[in-house]
Amino acid sequence: MKLLNNTFDTIRLFARFTKLNLKITLEYKLDRTLTFFAIFCRESVNVLVIYFILKKFISIKGWEMNEMLFLYSFLFLSYSLFVAFFTGIREFDSVIYSGEFDRLLIRPVGLLTQIICARMDHCAFLGHGAVGLILFIKTSTSVGIQWTPTNILYYIVTLVGAAIIQASLFMLSSCFNFWAIRTTNLRNMIFFNSRRFAGYPISFYPALIQNLLIYVTPFAFVSYFPAQYFLRKPELSLFWDGFLYMTPIVGVAMFALVYMLWKNGLKHYSSSGTSMY
Amino acid sequence: MAFIKSENLVKEYKINVKKKGLLGAINSLLIPEYKIKKAVDNISFSIEKGEMVGFIGPNGAGKSTTVKMLTGILVPSSGEISIGGLSPYKNRKAVASKIGVVFGQRTQLWWDLPVIDTFDLLKFIYKIPDKEYKKNLDMFSELLEIHKFMNQPVRQLSLGQRMRADIAASMLHNPEMVFFDEPTIGLDVVAKERIREFIKYINAEKGTTMLFTTHDMQDIEKTCNRMIIIDNGTIIYDGSIHEIKHRFGNYRIVEVEFQKEYKNLSFAGVKLINSDGNRKKFKVDQTLMQVTNLINELTQKYEVQDITIQEPEIEQIIRDIYQGGICLDKNVC
Ligand SMILES: Nc1ncnc2c1ncn2[C@@H]1O[C@H](COP(=O)(O)OP(=O)(O)OP(=O)(O)O)[C@@H](O)[C@H]1O
Ligand SMILES: [Mg+2]
Repeated sequence: MKLLNNTFDTIRLFARFTKLNLKITLEYKLDRTLTFFAIFCRESVNVLVIYFILKKFISIKGWEMNEMLFLYSFLFLSYSLFVAFFTGIREFDSVIYSGEFDRLLIRPVGLLTQIICARMDHCAFLGHGAVGLILFIKTSTSVGIQWTPTNILYYIVTLVGAAIIQASLFMLSSCFNFWAIRTTNLRNMIFFNSRRFAGYPISFYPALIQNLLIYVTPFAFVSYFPAQYFLRKPELSLFWDGFLYMTPIVGVAMFALVYMLWKNGLKHYSSSGTSMY
Repeated sequence: MAFIKSENLVKEYKINVKKKGLLGAINSLLIPEYKIKKAVDNISFSIEKGEMVGFIGPNGAGKSTTVKMLTGILVPSSGEISIGGLSPYKNRKAVASKIGVVFGQRTQLWWDLPVIDTFDLLKFIYKIPDKEYKKNLDMFSELLEIHKFMNQPVRQLSLGQRMRADIAASMLHNPEMVFFDEPTIGLDVVAKERIREFIKYINAEKGTTMLFTTHDMQDIEKTCNRMIIIDNGTIIYDGSIHEIKHRFGNYRIVEVEFQKEYKNLSFAGVKLINSDGNRKKFKVDQTLMQVTNLINELTQKYEVQDITIQEPEIEQIIRDIYQGGICLDKNVC
């Protein structure tokens, strides 16, 4: 009952913050609209490049264009979902250096809840979301998927899991901020390059990269395995079947581990000498 | 039992020593070198419910660090803190709902939103009942005149307006204890006065316990009975303002204008501190010489035009203490 109440409170708090964040975004309408289009165009171009390069081939290693784009849509939609809830984690260094974190610490609400609520990058949410949705709509019916209730449930749970996997990676890098070590550049390099690899079926790559994408930065669970669940390409025999269902488990396990580390890092938080603004 | 208790509180900062040049940068990345800075060094004090305590000390003394530990922002390196029986970092949420915090140098308000939006959000976060919220809002509006800029985005407010809004924000939930870290920084005389009045009023009316840091002795003199002075991370004085004045301000400055220039004036317990023709300035140690006796002697023996007597200012005493001119601990000197 208490848990239910807390969950309910958290949702209401999130709604409040969302409303206020939206108000700010609307205040800078023009700027934010332009940013949205910039993100939308950048990501669309990425997709178009792949499209034009691969158009010449009917299929690569048995993957058709639509199937590859279906796989790609997972990356966009899960990133969009991730941004909707974890912008505060993505921008954690600025949350700390601006002094905002001090303010969170003096409120009688859980820190993670506040970080989730506090910031939202609407432009990235909509930008990635729009590209993902277009790809999804274009491909989800043409690659021969039966949208049964089970499949829809799988899709939703897996998408959430995929967002949590990405949140864990960002949260891991945010831990270093407690020791005043900035890892933003390193993190972006690792994250976005892994993500680029995950835009194609991992069977295209040598074993080393496959293993990296499964065991180190587990982007295989963000795009490849979820797509394979629906597409069932014969190459699936290369991997253990269980991987198809592992996305939410990997997400939750990673997040739990990183969260523990984060909680521990919190003890080393040293605030900042003076204000930033 | 005391509302706040701090025992042997220590905070050490680990400062990353950066070496010069590319090799140095690589070196410090591989083998990080730390310097330990003891910002707070074994502080113990307790504050009773309803007390109003001024917390002063020179720049870098460790005031903000102490406030951050008391409010649960920083975890102490060692030592114990109890606020209403709870530890601020172990029971962060429980303590947070009992206290309010104002950082003069940093706003708690939402930069891009009208003041009232932040207030509404705080109402929700602290679960403030409608009636109480409205009552407080009305009261703060009246005392701090917040209603005049309630609907303006915070970024458009003047420093004084912002500070008033910040102070109101920290008290909406009727905290039992409020910490102010330099609430009057950068404000003009009138704005300062208004904030002092407000703080005093709330303390008297609601019995809110308060601790505040400042560099303005007037703030302390006009609001607090008790004052804690901290320097280099240690407490060097904890007592009443009255006492410090009594102990270290037991002298008067007597300025005399004679009708002609006298040379070699000397009296027991009196120091000539300034001489400008007919005008002389004396510092009278009251333990050795009564001012009235000095005046009698002066008027009887010399031709005096005018005499003024000044009490020492608390600012001067504090300045002396910071500069080491007054030693508070008799055992050490
Ligand atoms: N985040 C930090 N990391 C490292 N050192 C710090 C940090 N914050 C403060 N210090 C150091 O700790 C000491 C005490 O700082 P603190 O901010 O507590 O002083 P203060 O009494 O509030 O000074 P002021 O009157 O200037 O505000 C200073 O020497 C400062 O350089
Ligand atoms: Mg300070």
